[in-house]
Amino acid sequence: MSEPLLDLRGVSRHFGTHVALDGVTLALPTGRTGLLGPNGAGKSTLLKLLMGLIPPTSGSGTVLGHPLGGDDWRLRRLIGFMPEADALVPSLTGVEYVTLAGELYGMPRRQAMRRAHEVLGFLGLEEARYRKVDEYSLGMRQRVKLAQAVVHDPPCLLLDEPTSGLDPAGRDALLNLIRELGTDHGKSVLMSTHLLADVQAVCERAVIMAGGKVRGVGTVAELCGRRDDRFRLRVQGDTAPAFRADLENEGVKLLADDGRGEWRVAVPAGWSNLTFFKLADLNDVVIRSLTRDDESLTELFLRTVHPEVAGAEPV
Amino acid sequence: MPNPSDALLRYRPWRGTFRPPAFASLALARSGLRQMARRKLFWALYALAALVFFFFFYGQYMVVWIKLQTDDKTVTFAGLPVKAGEVSKFLDILALDGSGKTFANFIWFQGYVSMIVLALAGAVLVGNDFQHGSLSFYLSKPMGRRHYAAGKALAAAGFVNLLTTLPAVLLYLQAGLLYDWQTYYFDHWRELLGILGYGSLLTVCLSLLLVATAVWLRRTVPLVMVWSGVFVLARGLAAFLVDGRRLDPRWRLIDLWNDLYLCGKWLLAVPIDPKAPPEPPVELAACVVVGVCAACLIYLWRRIEAVEIVS
Repeated sequence: MSEPLLDLRGVSRHFGTHVALDGVTLALPTGRTGLLGPNGAGKSTLLKLLMGLIPPTSGSGTVLGHPLGGDDWRLRRLIGFMPEADALVPSLTGVEYVTLAGELYGMPRRQAMRRAHEVLGFLGLEEARYRKVDEYSLGMRQRVKLAQAVVHDPPCLLLDEPTSGLDPAGRDALLNLIRELGTDHGKSVLMSTHLLADVQAVCERAVIMAGGKVRGVGTVAELCGRRDDRFRLRVQGDTAPAFRADLENEGVKLLADDGRGEWRVAVPAGWSNLTFFKLADLNDVVIRSLTRDDESLTELFLRTVHPEVAGAEPV
Repeated sequence: MPNPSDALLRYRPWRGTFRPPAFASLALARSGLRQMARRKLFWALYALAALVFFFFFYGQYMVVWIKLQTDDKTVTFAGLPVKAGEVSKFLDILALDGSGKTFANFIWFQGYVSMIVLALAGAVLVGNDFQHGSLSFYLSKPMGRRHYAAGKALAAAGFVNLLTTLPAVLLYLQAGLLYDWQTYYFDHWRELLGILGYGSLLTVCLSLLLVATAVWLRRTVPLVMVWSGVFVLARGLAAFLVDGRRLDPRWRLIDLWNDLYLCGKWLLAVPIDPKAPPEPPVELAACVVVGVCAACLIYLWRRIEAVEIVS
């Protein structure tokens, strides 16, 4: 089995009295992982900590086999970081900027320049590579930032809000590139974002963070299907209100009613689905369909991060 | 944007050998120099600095020419007939004779333009990194804070030497060619070492001061104001306190450029002029310079760490 991407044990990071990360315990294998969370969840702090830019206040762990917390330049060679901020060097052209990144990673100058031309080409910036980066559009800036992250061909990419501010077409194109870097070229990607669609488009796995804590980890399919207490019912019959009252008496919570006989319900612990049919029989109601109510990533995110909005307890 | 699948066909892995992080400092310095060289204002200021250089360059030539050929003749100067020897006496104030004092004076006069150029350089080299968020770009690379600071200081050192050491060495070479060059270079080797030593002192002190003030202030205008404070107001205040209020000459130590000048004069073996206003001892001036460098280093170490956290 290959080395895990990261393995953190009780990692905390405080800035004065503010707790940015609170006892994060997280193990991730290599692959494409989305780091989801609202603003202030601690995603960017976690990325900086993984790169060794800041030490943890407490806790320990490893990143690509390197211990956490050391100002370890060998680790940073294995990582390509795309920051959220513009992070451009004004008055340099695209190719100079990416070449500089390559040189800073330790590549010899000539090779860095050759590689800069290559990566700018495959990211679709060959026409603009001699233009100054401060004249680039937002989409081009995002792509040149990705170019500087992959210039040294690292095994791992840390991307902080890579699609921030992009139009839908540019976003799709960039996400395709990121996904294919992972699938076709074996890069591990840890992508911080608050756009759930980005994670669904690119990642196999998601980590949900809020308030500096990890609230959920798993594959996207696992996370969305993990709850087996939600069902979608389609009922038919004039006595449906009585059926509904009986269900509520049994502890079932009606989450949504579309007014055409389709209900979304949450059942109590220890619930047997046979009870649906028994109560339906008692009330002379026909159950047309009963399916597990698979949660979308958006619903999962809302439930996890804002339980008060979603009306349910966290994962 | 091309079809990503087609584009990725061109993606090839890179399997080269990485160089040690110290090379990153060189790349940073080169990129910094390139950034500055693309500013028109830099070239305008450099032209101004070149004027001082040409004044000394042709001044040296004129002094030799007057002494050798027309010392006793009458020439028209500013519309008035004067003895050529009188003109050379006027030029003697600047000691344009290829002695250590020539080079010390030249670097002293370059201080005014250097101050503005370095303030601009500080804003471009370091201030921009904070304003445009480039610091996270640099610090996410396999290099430490010391490599970042060293790269920026190297770039600043490039400007300091372009403005002071390099033209001073050219003046030294010219002086040798104006006199008997073999005798001059043989007799005045100490001046060459002094120029290089003075240049190195300026390089280290001003580079550190520049990077530290730029990290602190970031924008051009406040930087120019602070550098004016360091190099103009402090000088005026020192002159007021020592020459006007007759206080202890050690008050001149608040003028950093003067402290560097005193150290430079010592390195160039310039004899003390009994007619000159009183100056503090060179040892104290050296202590101030070392103290400023140490303070800048400590500040840089702490500040760049703090910026890593918040950027």
